[in-house]
Amino acid sequence: MRFHIDELEVLFPYPRIYPEQYAYMSDLKKTIDRGGHCVLEMPSGTGKTISLLSLIVAYQQAQPEKRQLIYCSHLTRIGTMSEIEKALAELRSLMHYRTEQLGYQEEFRGLGLTSRKNLCLHPSVRREKDGNVVDARCRSLTAGFVKERKERGDDVELCEYHENLDKLEPHNLIPPGVWTFDDLTRYSEEQKQCPYFTARRMIAERVSKELSKDCIVVFDEAHNIDNVCIESLSIDITADSLRKASKGADNLETEITRLKETDAQKLQDEYDKLVEGLRGADEARDEDAFMSNPTLPDDLLQEAVPGNIRRAEHFIAFLKRFIEYMKTRQKVLHSFAETPPSFLTHLKELTFIERKPLRFCAERLTSLVRTLELTNIEDYRALQDIATFATLVATYDTGFELIFEPYEVEGALMANPRTHFACLDAAIAIKPVFDRFSSVIITSGTISPLEMYPRMLGFSALITESYTMSLARKSFLPLIVSKGSDQKVITSGFEKRSDPDVVRNYGALLTEFCKLTPDGIVVFFPSYLYMESTISNWQGSGILDAIWKYKLILVETPDSQETSLALETYRTACNNGRGAVLLSVARGKVSEGVDFDHQYGRTVLCIGVPFQYTESRILKARLRFMRETYHIRDQDFLSFDAMRHAAQCLGRVLRGKEDYGIMLMADKRFTKKRNQLPKWIAQALPEADINLSVDQAVAVAKAFLRDMSKPYALKLQEGVSVWDMKDLKKHQAEQQEAEIMELQEQAELQAQKERQRQRYLEEDDEFEMDVGDEDAMMQLDV
Amino acid sequence: MSDSDNEYIEDHSSGDDHNLNVGGSGRAQRQKGSGRNATSKPGTRARWERALRDTNNEPNVVADDSRLAENISRRAEAQKRARIRKDTKPFQRGIIRHMVLVLDVSEMMLEKDMRPNRYRVMLRYLEEYILEFFEQNPISQITVLMMYDGRCIQLSELSGNPNDHINAIQKLRDGDGKDELPKEPKGSPSLQNALEMSRAMLYHTPKHGTREVLIILGALLTNDPGDIHKTIASCVKDKLRVSIIGIFARMKICTEIVSRTNGGDESGYGVATDDVDLRDLLMASTSPPAMRATEQEDAAANLLVMGFPSRTEEEHPSLCACHGELTRGGYICPRCKTKVCSLPQTCPSCQLTLILSTHLARSYHHLFPLRNWLEVSWDRVREMRTTQCKGCLKKFPGIPTEDDGADKMDGSSESSRYECPSCHHHFCVDCDVFCHQTLYNCPGCQSGPPAQVPASNGETTGDPMALDGAS
Repeated sequence: MRFHIDELEVLFPYPRIYPEQYAYMSDLKKTIDRGGHCVLEMPSGTGKTISLLSLIVAYQQAQPEKRQLIYCSHLTRIGTMSEIEKALAELRSLMHYRTEQLGYQEEFRGLGLTSRKNLCLHPSVRREKDGNVVDARCRSLTAGFVKERKERGDDVELCEYHENLDKLEPHNLIPPGVWTFDDLTRYSEEQKQCPYFTARRMIAERVSKELSKDCIVVFDEAHNIDNVCIESLSIDITADSLRKASKGADNLETEITRLKETDAQKLQDEYDKLVEGLRGADEARDEDAFMSNPTLPDDLLQEAVPGNIRRAEHFIAFLKRFIEYMKTRQKVLHSFAETPPSFLTHLKELTFIERKPLRFCAERLTSLVRTLELTNIEDYRALQDIATFATLVATYDTGFELIFEPYEVEGALMANPRTHFACLDAAIAIKPVFDRFSSVIITSGTISPLEMYPRMLGFSALITESYTMSLARKSFLPLIVSKGSDQKVITSGFEKRSDPDVVRNYGALLTEFCKLTPDGIVVFFPSYLYMESTISNWQGSGILDAIWKYKLILVETPDSQETSLALETYRTACNNGRGAVLLSVARGKVSEGVDFDHQYGRTVLCIGVPFQYTESRILKARLRFMRETYHIRDQDFLSFDAMRHAAQCLGRVLRGKEDYGIMLMADKRFTKKRNQLPKWIAQALPEADINLSVDQAVAVAKAFLRDMSKPYALKLQEGVSVWDMKDLKKHQAEQQEAEIMELQEQAELQAQKERQRQRYLEEDDEFEMDVGDEDAMMQLDV
Repeated sequence: MSDSDNEYIEDHSSGDDHNLNVGGSGRAQRQKGSGRNATSKPGTRARWERALRDTNNEPNVVADDSRLAENISRRAEAQKRARIRKDTKPFQRGIIRHMVLVLDVSEMMLEKDMRPNRYRVMLRYLEEYILEFFEQNPISQITVLMMYDGRCIQLSELSGNPNDHINAIQKLRDGDGKDELPKEPKGSPSLQNALEMSRAMLYHTPKHGTREVLIILGALLTNDPGDIHKTIASCVKDKLRVSIIGIFARMKICTEIVSRTNGGDESGYGVATDDVDLRDLLMASTSPPAMRATEQEDAAANLLVMGFPSRTEEEHPSLCACHGELTRGGYICPRCKTKVCSLPQTCPSCQLTLILSTHLARSYHHLFPLRNWLEVSWDRVREMRTTQCKGCLKKFPGIPTEDDGADKMDGSSESSRYECPSCHHHFCVDCDVFCHQTLYNCPGCQSGPPAQVPASNGETTGDPMALDGAS
């Protein structure tokens, strides 16, 4: 359908639209118009992606300067490309529709980028299973110096697919159009060109040269964006990684001596370049870069590399010294935390390593590796980590903390020291994005409470909005169960969780729901530890046997192989009617990346509020930091974090309007957290349903399932939860009318005030006072 | 402040007390809005006030008792008619049906959400169902299976005699004294076993009949020994049509079975939420299914040999071939002269299908169903001036003096008249239901000329003699 939002014509590739989609698009447009950031929450399965795409594409095409769109999805789901693939497929159907409707083909390219592992076509490399190995092998076949060497006549292997790419025009590697990963690989296979580099170069070309500032950046499924930011800058250093790093340094040294003998000029060239400063580093951030450097402040790029690490051998010695220092620091007997400045002071006292050279470590190492033309970069990963760590610790005074721990787990006897360099401030990593792009859109199905994100990420949002799901029938049923049938409170709170009553009541709850739910049930526990103890308790008391009668029982484990096998079995059992219950952990793999739509999840049961492990030092440090810097109270953050995970788990079960499911929250503490749930869940949760006992919940759920069992005519949704063109027009007219009314009222109010003033003045005149004085006073008043 | 208060009360007093709800919310808004409106002139109204007035103007707020009674009776009419309102488009339907009835006798059937429990309710309705089934499909055959403790057990042979099946079900209900039949449901059902067994049962049935399976499933799981998807595939290959009546909630696998064996149509999977619902769903499956285009090719022009035996009364009792009992009366097979005691049946000695022509006639209405009668508006009544039902001569309610804008209820006629679209006679709701459910033809069409619109001057323009002569 085609419709207008304000003056912008939007082409929407479906004949019908959901009301919330329209609202979403309107808000998006406002944001982009005014050039700001926004945080939007829209329930999953209501066509978030397509509304986003159709609005932005319409926007792009309407504007002469054509702003680009960067769409990032599922920040944690590395290795699966389904989300992006889905988005690309949507985009393609949208473009088809536009062509059909407009009657001409628009100049448009849509490409997706994923890891090399997913795209590689090279006959032997693609067979590797580990993503890191694929990356390393690819680099060894495609790096610039390898090619140079080949030209010099050395016998080195090159990737044919990558080579063919160089023969094409750099800005026209692939014809215009929308390319899903499948299309891309197929096309590349025919043309014998590397799909990974095709996509990457095309994107880099556009993003870096043409636009930069005007880009619209979208983070989809961004509910954990702060954690991703933090993880990207946090580094864990273990004794093992230090050992590897020093071995790497040794290797580098031998390489350097070798190069000195053969080609000393090269090292000299590098030295000269470094004198000029790191400005070169900017250019060098090309595709065969060793690794992208951590966010360097701009001033660092202006400066020259300090003298004491300019020479390669000096730099290696410098690194070794630093590694040795780290090794001694790790020999601690009790854990403690330290801020970067205090770490640096101590470092200087002991080893005379200054702050400044430390800051250049990462760049210096990258440059060196490039000079040495190393191909087996995998071996130097540990060293790279150390160098990155050095740079970060010397660059940022606040927002980071060093935590030294002698034991891996509390109470272990074997010393296994590790150092956490924990990033505490999510804003640091995301700052360049907000600085560089004028419109950043953060969106997800569960991103409540919305105001938390701008605070944590340090930006100001133009619009923060949460949309509800307009439903013609209530197709999901959130319930909070706070007590067992025996009226005993159920909670996973630490002091009560192993109480036999609590465990038994949880068991009874699960048994009852296994009995009444068809097909699949998913259960989320707050932690592996609690899950294991509960399961073994249930085993003893015969609850598992009772459940077994109704459902297969499958358990998620930390091992990803086992978990995927369990998932596979779970899906089969749901498909062939046996029914299954999947016991998993709220922060595990299952809660984040796997959808339980339709028969795969008719009930989701959240046992306990999934709080983080609060004794963790890293978490404590982060809490302290946030309290001091952003004035977010510990309890607020913990509760926010727990509830967003809970919402994530609950949201897994509902994927679209014709889907239905029960969302059970089984903990006393949920009753007070109702307003922290996403709006669309909270609005479906009436006051009566927030403090139920097990048997009450069973009765409510039974009634719900009975309602859902009747087939539902799509026709009834029309006009309520689905709009066609007529409904949309009506809504727009209504909205306009409301606006006009508002304006009229304002005008009237204004006129009234004016009249009043007039009257006032007239009255004044009647009294015939000293007009001049009065007027002066009036003016003062006004 | 006080100004706006007065104004508010004035406005509201014109409304009725039933509007309490609106008043309540209005009051809440007033407190919010009064600050802003304090200075406003009486001529201007806030939006909420306008909204309030609008609701007062709506006509349907007056609720007097006569209208209520009318509503109730109309609702009852709508309910009556709901049963007959089905698709009347003439389809080719398979009136020779072979049906496997699969009962769930698993533990879940002991649930007490129907009284006394699901199992008893199911058995009670089954007897009714079987009688109704043979009433509607006299030349069809049924066999009854049950899913019990993972196995599938046959209760009665494939036969066209309703008494066989009813006896089997009664035995199941009361127990037969031996250990063969279980007293109580037990274990979990297996859809795969049930489907495999049904497939075996229907394997030898002739092509011209349908092969149907009706499963009543109370459990929310199926405990299968193998891959049920393979079984479904072979059911599709053997042209079985499975419909399922679930109880309480929908299962994915059932949707899949039904949609795959019915060419993508899921409507054969119904879920009963209470016992009335269960009965309705059961009864709905008594009318024969429409043939699909693909099936019609196979069954295109098959001729079928049938015998129409004549009834005999003998002086001396002789043995019947079906039960081996001495009887005086019976039917003699026209081909081999064997005596059977009831029809329809397959001749025990020569396998000829023995039926009466009335049986065929009874199935005939499925092929050419009586068209649905139309609801009659008051305007049409004024035109036709009907005062009594053509069928039973019951007096219709008179034409109201003015159109009071009565709310129309879906499915019932505002004038309590129903018009046959071919003869234009008007009938009452009871005759409507009777004709569609029992008689299967229209008394108006069968008896004389179609009704005519009376001329405005009061003369009857329709001359029956002239019409007869013309036809």
